Amino acid sequence: MKEQHITSNGQIKWGYAFNQWRMGWQGFARVDDNVRALKVTSASGFRCIELNAGTGPWDPLGRPESIAQNFGSVRKFAAQLGDWGIDRIVSVFFDPGQMSFEEGHFGLKTTSSADHAVILAQASVHTRFLAEVGGEFLVVQPLPPYWKEGTLSKTSLETAAACMNQLGGMTRALGLKTVLHIDALSALRTAEEFDELLALCPDDLIGLALDTAELTIAGFDVVKLYRRYHARVQHFHFKDALAVDTPGEYRLPNAERAMILAGGSREIPRWFGELGSGLVDFKALAAAIKELRYEGWIIVESDKGPQPVASSVMLNSWYVQNVLLPILA
Amino acid sequence: MTESARKLRFAYMDHWRIDGPQGYVSQYSSVKLLDSFVKQIAALGFEGIETFDFHLGVLIDLFGSLANARTFLQERGIDRVVSLFHAVLFRNGVSQAHERQTHEGLFNHAHHIVKSADGLGVENLLVMPAGQYYDVEPVSDEKIRACADLWSRVGKMTLDYGIRTCCHHEFYCGIHHAEQIRKFYEWSDPRYVFWYCDTAQHVIAGVDPVDLYLKMHDRCGGFHLKDTHDVDRVGDYRQRPESEVTAKTTPRWFWEMGTAEGLVDFPALFAAMKEYRYEGWVSVEHDKADVGGSNYPASTAIAAWYIRNVLEKIYA
Repeated sequence: MKEQHITSNGQIKWGYAFNQWRMGWQGFARVDDNVRALKVTSASGFRCIELNAGTGPWDPLGRPESIAQNFGSVRKFAAQLGDWGIDRIVSVFFDPGQMSFEEGHFGLKTTSSADHAVILAQASVHTRFLAEVGGEFLVVQPLPPYWKEGTLSKTSLETAAACMNQLGGMTRALGLKTVLHIDALSALRTAEEFDELLALCPDDLIGLALDTAELTIAGFDVVKLYRRYHARVQHFHFKDALAVDTPGEYRLPNAERAMILAGGSREIPRWFGELGSGLVDFKALAAAIKELRYEGWIIVESDKGPQPVASSVMLNSWYVQNVLLPILA
Repeated sequence: MTESARKLRFAYMDHWRIDGPQGYVSQYSSVKLLDSFVKQIAALGFEGIETFDFHLGVLIDLFGSLANARTFLQERGIDRVVSLFHAVLFRNGVSQAHERQTHEGLFNHAHHIVKSADGLGVENLLVMPAGQYYDVEPVSDEKIRACADLWSRVGKMTLDYGIRTCCHHEFYCGIHHAEQIRKFYEWSDPRYVFWYCDTAQHVIAGVDPVDLYLKMHDRCGGFHLKDTHDVDRVGDYRQRPESEVTAKTTPRWFWEMGTAEGLVDFPALFAAMKEYRYEGWVSVEHDKADVGGSNYPASTAIAAWYIRNVLEKIYA
């Protein structure tokens, strides 16, 4: 087969997020299905993955105890990955706002200091796992969605930053890094708020993960944003955005469902797309990445597509091989 | 990628269909859908595709000419349409390879196809060498000789266009048992008639494709790598109207390489290919991969995974 040249040993390292394969509570619970998905990812040229911090026994790769139940142990799982064509788990994405059966909550707020102890305890499950499997990054959603939090105050930013800094200390002690990921619904809405949050988080403790689609939907120009914060960026999520939230429906109650899943008042059928199919200027971003000599990971994602997930992975692979790699060369 | 592994180039035989907003559609429905299909195949490392001859008209409709269609493929990493499957509608008294009085029409049909294919870079014309078993039986030596004579004549003609005629034995083909196959290749002209090794079809028919390759490697024009979980033990090859889709025992005959239940010994086949220094195109075929809720993209990726992680290591 033709070489794919999507490597993880250069200045820019490529990986793929494993979050998109999860369909419903029980639709992706079988080990065979997960192994098949890993093979599809590997066959598409991506040999490193980012896992999603999940909950419940229906998510075989969501938590270390689930991995142990399904694969024998975390170490055995990590050793087996190579058999399926996967070299490494690079990172885990953790959103404290998501419910957790194990920790017994319906979603926590980093802006509430009363929630910090549980957030840290929950994060420690994943950071210990990452350290055990040779990972590098905990990718964290640092702020609640706007519809839950409202406009950020100085106090709420300071509280969230304090939580992130504790996480940063925890990960650093394990030889890992914490990077912050802002999504389309986040309470953080402006570049000034980015500045404030980052100013509260020491750069030797906390980095930035830029998600191209989420930030585009939220109205940011990701190329400008990258140029502004490139010194803090250690991680990317690459996916395309097919629409911008121009009506500001991130304010809607239950925006995860009302805006993202139901499409808001415009009934947007799909917010996220394969690379090159939407509004993100990936060519300009790749040029900036090359110009500013980015060193780090780019994790490609598929998210909520109507096609088979395999199609999405393969189309993204084609775009990386044929459009981005020549620019980055 | 080792240099020895690059002696093989992989192609994808295209049965692909997708669920879209307008229901179940072919990727030949639009340039956009074809673009998506070709990029997915190329992303996995395939460098060629194979398709049916009845898509020639659609390709001209979409691109204006077959040369334009090939340029479209090449811009996306697919070099050529390696093979065209010659979809003959075998009909008694009209177009049956075992009926000599129908040969002129069959020859002219094949001639029309290879003349029409110019521009795509086609190297092989694939054809089932006899009609459906229920139309051919009882299969006699004379009927096999008639088929051999027809495809020898066709094969000589197609070579004038730089295209090899390769025979592909579906498990319901009038020539599918080992002895029938042996006679067919003995009686057809080795200069003009090649054997296309469809691994699953042979296993379903009770024929070991590895053994066949060892015996007929010098006649082998290429491969359709696909797997099966079932051998036809009850005569499904006689099922009307077409055993592949209407057999009562088996809703899905074909599987991608790499499933635990697969019956084809692909490692042994690749070891044999290495031993006999096979070089050139090798095709993966997913025929009806969507039966039972699976889908073509995932099956194709799994097959690609199997090639990279298992088969290329054997051949290297």
